Amino acid sequence: MMLTLARRESLWGFAFIAPWILGALVFTLLPMGASFVMSLTNFDPRHPDAVQSVGLANYQRMFGDPLVHQSLAVTLKFAALMLPLTLGVSLGLAMLVNNPKLLGRNVFRTFFYMPTQIPIVATTLIWQGVLNLHTGWVNYVLGVFGIAGPDWLNSTVWVYPGLSLISVWGTGTMMLIALAGLQSIPTELYEAARIDGAGKWEQFRNVTLPMMSPVLFYNLIIALIGTFQYFTQAYVLTNGRGDPDNSTLFFNLNLYREGWRYYDMGYAATLAWLLFVIVLALTVILFRTRSRWVYEGATR
Amino acid sequence: MQQISSRKRIALGLAAFLIAGACTQAAAPAPSSTPRPTGALVTAQPSSAGGLTSDGKILVRWFVGLGTGGNPEQLGAESAAVAKCNAADGPCTKAGIKLALEVYQNDAAYDTLATQIATRNSPDIIGPIGVRALNGFGDQLLDLSKYVQAKTLDTTGIEKNLVDTYIVNGKQIGIPYAVYPSFMYYNKALFKEAGLKEPPHKVGDKYTMPNGSQVDWNWDTVAQVAKILTVDTKGNDATKAAFDPKNIAQFGFDFQWTDPRGWATVIGGSGSAVAADGKTAQWPDNWKKAMQWYYDRLWKDHTAPTQDYITALAGGNTFQSGKVAMDFVHTWYTCCVYPGDNTSPVKDWDIAVAPISLDGKVTAKLHADTMGILSSTLHADASVLAMNFIMAQPEIVVTYGAMPAKAADRKAFFNSLDKKFEKLDPTKVDWQVASSMLSYTESINHEANMPNFLKSDAAIKALQSDMLTNATLNIDTRLGDLVKTLQGTFGGS
Repeated sequence: MMLTLARRESLWGFAFIAPWILGALVFTLLPMGASFVMSLTNFDPRHPDAVQSVGLANYQRMFGDPLVHQSLAVTLKFAALMLPLTLGVSLGLAMLVNNPKLLGRNVFRTFFYMPTQIPIVATTLIWQGVLNLHTGWVNYVLGVFGIAGPDWLNSTVWVYPGLSLISVWGTGTMMLIALAGLQSIPTELYEAARIDGAGKWEQFRNVTLPMMSPVLFYNLIIALIGTFQYFTQAYVLTNGRGDPDNSTLFFNLNLYREGWRYYDMGYAATLAWLLFVIVLALTVILFRTRSRWVYEGATR
Repeated sequence: MQQISSRKRIALGLAAFLIAGACTQAAAPAPSSTPRPTGALVTAQPSSAGGLTSDGKILVRWFVGLGTGGNPEQLGAESAAVAKCNAADGPCTKAGIKLALEVYQNDAAYDTLATQIATRNSPDIIGPIGVRALNGFGDQLLDLSKYVQAKTLDTTGIEKNLVDTYIVNGKQIGIPYAVYPSFMYYNKALFKEAGLKEPPHKVGDKYTMPNGSQVDWNWDTVAQVAKILTVDTKGNDATKAAFDPKNIAQFGFDFQWTDPRGWATVIGGSGSAVAADGKTAQWPDNWKKAMQWYYDRLWKDHTAPTQDYITALAGGNTFQSGKVAMDFVHTWYTCCVYPGDNTSPVKDWDIAVAPISLDGKVTAKLHADTMGILSSTLHADASVLAMNFIMAQPEIVVTYGAMPAKAADRKAFFNSLDKKFEKLDPTKVDWQVASSMLSYTESINHEANMPNFLKSDAAIKALQSDMLTNATLNIDTRLGDLVKTLQGTFGGS
């Protein structure tokens, strides 16, 4: 039997993506199913034989758990500060290194991207020193200008700007994506805008931003998911305790503590599902609102 | 339009799938752009079915990291001991056993062991196990009573009360391996520079103050001496009005690597966060006073480093930074007071006895390590034989800074420490101080079990963070909150 060209192409397509599908089934769908089942139990890895079904008790407990409320508040507070900051900084840096007037553009692109190549743990430990109240460089520089620097990492207020600084340091990947977006904007649009008398600000507002909106949308979704999965920096800085006063008890850190510090794996799985629902809901909201602010050319 | 809506659906579906995958597996090793270290320093070869090696020997896996033993410096001695047992004429080989070493860094060891137990891939021997780890995994340990009674496990020369410490719910879950009394390490050079007399080496001896007066060696004396030893970057000590607490160059004392129950026990005297009924949370009065005392040293006198300073002082190994004059730690700190040839050691140090606690008694908190065998082992007898061998290796005892539980072995242990520190002339440490502190240990161990231990312990660690980072705490109120939290966790799952 002769296969049509379209059918042959489809089969080849499936053959090529089969490893991914298989990987997704085995390493994503299966663990997802397992984690849901686990969320209905009291599973403690130290006592695997004592596992019992607890029905929806873990879900019930989750809604009344003050640490869940606290960790959600911490994560949302941090997201409110960090998302606009990293999006803005990455776009700003991309515009800077895209500017033809900048001497050594490639060098700067490399420099701004380089921090993302440093392991997060190493970066965090270095920033711990940089942000130290007494011996850190940031406060030293502030001191030169007569400003008493705050206790960046041990104040319940200043810890968020402190962590945001660390995040901004690692915006190289977002900058690179934004740079690719900037370079794909047709120059004719700027020329047309200039002929119409648009200044730099108008060009940015009416050409760059709309044309960049799909890229910004992508960066926003990725950063949002990243914020809800924020863990390593908080863990390294506080040895997993969420100091000071639970102000760095991010959702994922709390989940980790329940699962691996207290071995309450069933409850940790329940928290993972809550995380899924929240992030999915936020993503759906963003997708639903994108028609209002994301320019998608002909498909808008 | 129809097409756009399908595309949106596909995009949403794909996004949901990816998010779900990421979120529900969030509890797996943290997603990051870089791989996280597993903490494994050495892992054993996988065994074939039934815990046998491919050449038919009994595989006995020794898991290290729950107490001391997980530091890279200790790896050499552990590997050498295993090689000795597995040598052609070694006891393991003769008994048809292959001993395999698995070493994990302490912060990763708990998770690793729990995962191994959950996946039914448990090791056989675990240890050294500190009291805290015992609280987490004690119910997984094999009852060794029959081996102790049959003298297969040698407990000769170990005080009976120490052996009995490890009888939990009628089961002998371990035998004492090492004890780590605590005392005051002090930097002799800093005392000399300040023109101060060194602290006493015998319990009951007085301390001579700069004005020549003889006073009790208690925590008030420590506070006064610490003020003289705490110096800002301009050279003003903490007794002077010009002293600048924002720029401190050297501190009077520290409690390195311990927690509030440790502070409270040493400063305030023996106590417990659990009332005698075993289920009521409490923070005894002597412990309350101790917390206030220490908090005042942190934020009022500024003679003890707060969290920011601790981080800045040799990454937390404060005494080793050379900028802390006194530090109350255990014997195991000999591991790290001189960590390596390429570091700048505190060359001139000694040890002094514990000061008199606020309750009028001398209290030197005790750490103790045991070795145990998981009850899931398939080869209990072989594991006992291997464990006996490990515990008898002097090199391991030295690398652990582990004062042998057997009194007869202690002289050799201290001699080996002298040899270790001989390069640090003029250091000659008065080790009898360490031995003498064994007579002043707390009546209830400061790391003793509590209901819902892991969560209760975390609540107490949160107090520690607060005290070290918050300058405006009301200690009484905070302790009241802690007791309420503990009562909640005691009743929790």
